[in-house]
Amino acid sequence: MNVSFRWAAVAALAALSPLTALMSPGAVAQEPIELSMWLDVTNGPDEADCIERVAIDSYNALGNGSMVKVTQQANSWDATKTALAGGAGPDLVGTPGPSFAMQLALAGQLAPLDEAAAEFGWDGIFAPNSLNLGKVDGKLYAIPSEIETLVLYYNKTLFEENGWTAPTTIDEMMTLSQTIADAGIIPFAHVNAEWRPANEWFVGEFLNHGAGPEMVYKALIGEVPWTDPAFVAPMETLATMQANGWFSGGLDRYYTGTFAEAGSMLGEGEAAMKIEGTWFLSDAPNYFGEEAGNSNELGWVPMPSTDGTVSYTLGIGQTYSVNANSEHPKEAAQFLGHYFSPAIQAALLSECGLANAPVDLSKEDLSGVDPMLAEINASLNEAYAANNYGYTTWTFWPPESETYLIEEVEKVWAGDVTVEDYLAGHQEKFDAERAAGAAPPVPAR
Amino acid sequence: MELPAIESRTVDLPDAVHPTPDAAVPGGRRDASLIPNYIVLILLLIFSLGPLVILTFNSLKTKAELAKNPLGFPQKIVFSNFPKAWEVGDFSVTTRNSLLLVAITVVGVLFFGGLAAYSLAKLDIPGAGLLTMYLLIGSSLPIQLYLVPLFFVWQKLHLVNNHFGLALIYIATQAPFAIFLLRSYMVQLPRDFEDAARVDGASEWEVFLKIVVPLSWPGFLTVGLVVALGVWNEFLLATVFLTEQELFTVVTSYNNFASRFSRDWTLTSAASLMMILPVIVIFLLLQRRFIEGLTQGGLKG
Amino acid sequence: MSAATSSPTPGVIHAGSRRKAVFRRRIVPWLFVMPILVLNLAVVLGPALSALYYSLTDWNGIRPPTFIGLENFRTLATDPSYRHAFRNNVVWLLMFLTVPIAMALGASSMLAPVKRGSLFFRMAYFIPYVLPSVIIASLWRGLLSPDRGIPGWLNDHGVPGFDKAFLGDPKTVLPAIGFVDNWHWWGFLLVLFLAAMQNIPRELYESARLDGASRWDEFKDVTIPGIRPTLIFMLLMTAIWSFLTFDYIWILTQGGPAGASEVLAVLVFKEAFRNFKAGYAAAIGLTMSVFVGIVISIFTLLRRRGWEI
Repeated sequence: MNVSFRWAAVAALAALSPLTALMSPGAVAQEPIELSMWLDVTNGPDEADCIERVAIDSYNALGNGSMVKVTQQANSWDATKTALAGGAGPDLVGTPGPSFAMQLALAGQLAPLDEAAAEFGWDGIFAPNSLNLGKVDGKLYAIPSEIETLVLYYNKTLFEENGWTAPTTIDEMMTLSQTIADAGIIPFAHVNAEWRPANEWFVGEFLNHGAGPEMVYKALIGEVPWTDPAFVAPMETLATMQANGWFSGGLDRYYTGTFAEAGSMLGEGEAAMKIEGTWFLSDAPNYFGEEAGNSNELGWVPMPSTDGTVSYTLGIGQTYSVNANSEHPKEAAQFLGHYFSPAIQAALLSECGLANAPVDLSKEDLSGVDPMLAEINASLNEAYAANNYGYTTWTFWPPESETYLIEEVEKVWAGDVTVEDYLAGHQEKFDAERAAGAAPPVPAR
Repeated sequence: MELPAIESRTVDLPDAVHPTPDAAVPGGRRDASLIPNYIVLILLLIFSLGPLVILTFNSLKTKAELAKNPLGFPQKIVFSNFPKAWEVGDFSVTTRNSLLLVAITVVGVLFFGGLAAYSLAKLDIPGAGLLTMYLLIGSSLPIQLYLVPLFFVWQKLHLVNNHFGLALIYIATQAPFAIFLLRSYMVQLPRDFEDAARVDGASEWEVFLKIVVPLSWPGFLTVGLVVALGVWNEFLLATVFLTEQELFTVVTSYNNFASRFSRDWTLTSAASLMMILPVIVIFLLLQRRFIEGLTQGGLKG
Repeated sequence: MSAATSSPTPGVIHAGSRRKAVFRRRIVPWLFVMPILVLNLAVVLGPALSALYYSLTDWNGIRPPTFIGLENFRTLATDPSYRHAFRNNVVWLLMFLTVPIAMALGASSMLAPVKRGSLFFRMAYFIPYVLPSVIIASLWRGLLSPDRGIPGWLNDHGVPGFDKAFLGDPKTVLPAIGFVDNWHWWGFLLVLFLAAMQNIPRELYESARLDGASRWDEFKDVTIPGIRPTLIFMLLMTAIWSFLTFDYIWILTQGGPAGASEVLAVLVFKEAFRNFKAGYAAAIGLTMSVFVGIVISIFTLLRRRGWEI
């Protein structure tokens, strides 16, 4: 055979081989055990850096024989999901919520954490029942983190100038919206161009506050159908609001507006109200007060309900677990013990603005926390303790049903599908997913 | 994503680029009668370049001005968006990553694609029709069809989050286009030199390296440019196969300018401009090769 | 040339020389092709074949797949969103078979007689084609904003019909995305057509003019037939791409609002990555390949039937 050609073939193969050498993780050992963790940077690199400083560096400084090495990733969930399926992935597994963690647990990709729970006394630290969110068949696989809720924000200055009062019932909200619209102001600064799932904020809030959390609970456990009139009415109301152009001035605007535009509409008083999550508060200073170049003030009230009862929907933005394939499950659990300790959770909240896990922070120093966030969180905690909390779609719904709620509601708003058909279609997806065991756990009320 | 180039077309497609205004065919009419033409052409010019001009304006505005003046010339020009965007987009790292990816891919495509093109053009490879057919079909498969399984294979081979692994995918997917274009260059070369060399006992490898490559270098340059452009601009595969911040390419770092739900448009404009400027400059310098490669390859970016 | 100077041993016939010749004629050519072919098989064909298998399973991307036969295809046949997406692909096809082609044909015949600035115009029209889709899409999202973009400006200046978010209305969203995609696409066509036009012999125009042909007659009877191969080739490519179109739609609307801009490729992506239905997604992807196959077959058939393309 021709020598030079053979050389070429060998070279081609050789080009591939250094790779394998590069990629096989060298046995470092001896020194502290290294635990890997992927940190999502979706909320911006500043937040990720802060989390690393507050929660990870403090753990590594303990010198207890293990160290956590963080890799910052843009969409860590996609990467995690695929890595785990390939039998790899980080020791510490984060997911964007209990329904996702559940999928992994069912696939046998997560290690049970019941021993760790006993060791660190999590039952005493975590709000009652909240750990149930991470349980599958009675075993604990995922620890809920980052609690969130939604409220009705409004431009307080604008309201005072016009003598409006923030509504407490949905009817009041409708009447007020009409008044606001008549005054030439947009009632709600709502948009979804940059985040289509924003639809589910409104769908979820109207289901929960329209029918009441108790009804949603019954529907989630299959006792009541989603087609119940109690659910139909608030969805009709929501559709009416869209049809009236109360969200940003019309559906086309709602679908194309950016969050920055919506925020400044609210801040400048071009729009009056906004139903959004606690996450909005970190963005709010860009639209209100000095930084935004106005003297307007932001206010909030609980999301109005049919009969004026106050309740808060509960959302879990993140969970943490231990990889079933981890070589050091004990050490990984130890890190979780540190991460979920009230002191660290309080520091994450006050220093990084990261929503805390449902743990008891009453003994911690929360002086650095945004006062409005502290207020809303306190109300949420109270509501949770009193069993007076609702259910966000991204925490308690199975994935396909959730996607259905998000995407199909646009057809209702377009007038292509009736509310009844929408809810019936949802029922179908929901039943199928529940039967397949894909529905996340719902703690008993 | 490149698409099937019908083979014969790549050969006889006319040279797109010779600025041969004197061959102005349907013309021959007097200049005065061309005024309507110029009017239409200038309107189309505004259509094509206007958005890029607005992009440039916006990159020079403050956030507050952009909110009040989203289209016009900036009242007060600020350059601070550029250094800030450079930092937020981590351009010093992403530029290096992109250049590395471009380099590996271009070298790979030219070398391996060149070998295959030589075989198709000069060696009467048995089963040439079948091979061509396979490459054609393969390059018209929707990437969504095989993206997920490919990801799993790459995961198992530890080729995810690895520039070399991503470059392998680029090489494989860009190859059909490169092969057809290089082949069309090589078939046009006279056989005399090669035959003389063969008679003198040169191996095919030597003929390829010492005779065919030097004679068809314009083809290699053209293919190299087009492949480099494709890799520099590629977004979907890069976001799926590179998830670690320090591996991001210039274009994928575009995501850095979005927070959880929103985006800073002045910074985004500055970053966009920095991402497309190198492309435009190189295009203007080497437009002839570029246009030739892009139009003859039947490639869509 | 060193290859020419290395001297062989002429006249000496080796026993193995016949085998060697066969080797050189039949095996060596394949050795040249092998590296890239193997890589292509690993990247494209292998995963595509496994997608074929996954399309027969209920794989969710996480848990191991279970074989379910043709169930996915049965679901697909009755899935209204599938039919809807397919229809949008067809609408897309019709839009791109007409608008950009007409624009490029019109502009290139305008540009062909122009001497001064010809190269400049050509390059300017071509520039959008070399830019990345993410940037084009988000640039145009801003420019199409009803209050702060070009429609808003037109509206403020009294042009009626622009007080509207074209990307947010189910009726206009698909043409609006097509508009953005076309912004980067038509200049490429223009350059192709122009090149083809410059290869048409001048005499044809001259004799047409002697026959008293109008400009339109020239265009119809000389230009179009002259660039026919290029034109038909691009029509074919357009047809193929129309079934694969993805990036502009995904970046601009992700298929919304109310599913009005959903196409097959977007559906695949959503099913696989959002709904955890990787098996179903593979089935949809497979049907996309079939559509592309059909387009190519029609083209080949017409060619066999003596269409000169």
